[in-house]
Amino acid sequence: MSSLPRRIIKETQRLMQEPVPGINAIPDENNARYFHVIVTGPNDSPFEGGVFKLELFLPEDYPMSAPKVRFITKIYHPNIDRLGRICLDVLKDKWSPALQIRTILLSIQALLSAPNPDDPLANDVAELWKVNEAEAIRNAREWTQKYAVED
Amino acid sequence: MESDIEMELESDNDGEYDDDYDYYNTGEDCDVERLDPKRADPEYFEYDCLTVEDIEKLLNELVEKLNTILQITPSLAKVLLLEHQWNNTVVVEKYRQDANALLVTARIKPPTSSADAASTSAAAAAQLLKMGSSGYKAPPAVGGNANTPPYRSQMCPVCASSQLGDKFYSLACGHSFCKDCWTMYFETQIFQGISIQIGCMAPMCNVRVPEDLVLTLVTRPVMRDKYQQFAFKDYVKSHPELRFCPGPNCQIIVQSSEISAKRAICKVCRTGFCFKCGMDYHAPTDCQVIKKWLTKCADDSETANYISAHTKDCPKCHICIEKNGGCNHMQCFNCKHDFCWMCLGDWKTHGSEYYECSRYKDNPNIANESVHVQAREALKKYLHYYERWENHSKSLKLEQQTIERLRQRINTKVMNGSGTWIDWQYLFNAAGLLAKCRYTLQYTYPYAYYMEAGSRKNLFEYQQAQLEAEIENLSWKIERAETTDLGDLENQMDIAEKRRTTLLKDFFPVAV
Repeated sequence: MSSLPRRIIKETQRLMQEPVPGINAIPDENNARYFHVIVTGPNDSPFEGGVFKLELFLPEDYPMSAPKVRFITKIYHPNIDRLGRICLDVLKDKWSPALQIRTILLSIQALLSAPNPDDPLANDVAELWKVNEAEAIRNAREWTQKYAVED
Repeated sequence: MESDIEMELESDNDGEYDDDYDYYNTGEDCDVERLDPKRADPEYFEYDCLTVEDIEKLLNELVEKLNTILQITPSLAKVLLLEHQWNNTVVVEKYRQDANALLVTARIKPPTSSADAASTSAAAAAQLLKMGSSGYKAPPAVGGNANTPPYRSQMCPVCASSQLGDKFYSLACGHSFCKDCWTMYFETQIFQGISIQIGCMAPMCNVRVPEDLVLTLVTRPVMRDKYQQFAFKDYVKSHPELRFCPGPNCQIIVQSSEISAKRAICKVCRTGFCFKCGMDYHAPTDCQVIKKWLTKCADDSETANYISAHTKDCPKCHICIEKNGGCNHMQCFNCKHDFCWMCLGDWKTHGSEYYECSRYKDNPNIANESVHVQAREALKKYLHYYERWENHSKSLKLEQQTIERLRQRINTKVMNGSGTWIDWQYLFNAAGLLAKCRYTLQYTYPYAYYMEAGSRKNLFEYQQAQLEAEIENLSWKIERAETTDLGDLENQMDIAEKRRTTLLKDFFPVAV
């Protein structure tokens, strides 16, 4: 692999020195473009108390194209599917080279606080979220307890 | 020898789909008053087939015109024209009314708050429009003396490297990035097929990158070419009077000032299409309806195909019959019974004034029936129209084969010294006319399917039936061409074409 671009080095340094509250991103020791990410469930959300593992990869043409991000921990959310793929505009058409790993992870954290069932990725989850929000939130809490809380 | 004749025929046949093709006005009645073609022919359509060079010239002329009126860069003129359907007058008018608003909606300038807008004078807007690609660079610091460099070092937020200020470019929004990042970004965007829609790199900023900045920074010839090709496509698509010919690999662009659902035929590849929607020509049905119909057919055709088998039994002697010609007037080879392929009714009733076969009969008690019966009725209705639509489409293809056979027979005749090519030309004219009529007939079925029951539908189905009857007569006569009297055939052609134009005049939704 070619030498690491200055932009990635800078971003990594800042992520380590000034971490974002509730977000932890550490580069893999063998691949500086692969990050092990931990996002804690935001307060006042059904994901509160959960610790969610994600993986983030910076493709060859980063920052011209968006990082690839995926949830590893199972999560009950209308915009995240069974494989952990995330439906988020800034990861797709709204990506801008001036956005950063930091801003993307903040957006993902915000998505946990404000699910958007009108733009669904997991159809069954989104459907329930719209028809019976209380039950959907109960499911999300259950999943958080089951998969995202370490004993 | 054979191929020579084929060639000659091909070229002679060119006129068979032409709209101005006129087979009955052959001269003897030239004292008849010349009619305005727009009134006489509901399908009359004026258009030009232009090359890429022609169009580039046409668009450049519009750009230059706006340049001279508003004194702006060609690159921004293009953006403004693109956003306003290439209408110079509208752009100039909007510019004089509120230059700031014009620039914001064309995404040349970022939206401003109301307080800001007041302070943005028309002069400032004009200034923005006049700057060329040099205007995208930050100006050197004023008052710098010989000891301090005119540019200070700054950091690019994309690559995170510090460089001197003269390496930075920004648009009207002021978001500044270094030259290398802009270039790499442009190339990534072009690679994805994006050209004139490339926006500023800053998040949530929707200011557009004009052509001149892209072409200043992108130097690789492949990428420049790609950018220009994509941009040209977008320019043509944004121009209401231009259409790319849908023919495979055809480079022609059709231009017409009449934007309606009429048939344009590419002069190079001969592809015919509806000028408005770009699909196969579909008169008398309009663009939305034909789209709905084709989608429906694509969904339902499997069932329909299954239900309507390819063969039918003779209604009299029940021998199995496969259709081998386009004509729907069948004569059983076994019992010589004449019947209609579509309704299996006796042909005798079809020849009379009131032809019933194309008409779908609604069950008058349908409202009182159960849901199940209603659903079956709906399917039955759809199948009625679908079968006829499909059937005429098949007939068109079969009649193409009839023409081929005719060509071979005539070939033999000419070889044997029985007449010349010219003597037999009328048969090809007749076959061409038959194809044209049947094509229209085919497209009357989706129209009828979506029509609401009422007197207008009755009139439509009456005319459709009339047209259908005459087309079948014509097809019958052409298949037996050698034994048909020339005058009889010409008369039949005349009647069929008149029925077709009458129907189109009354129902083709294009208002002249």
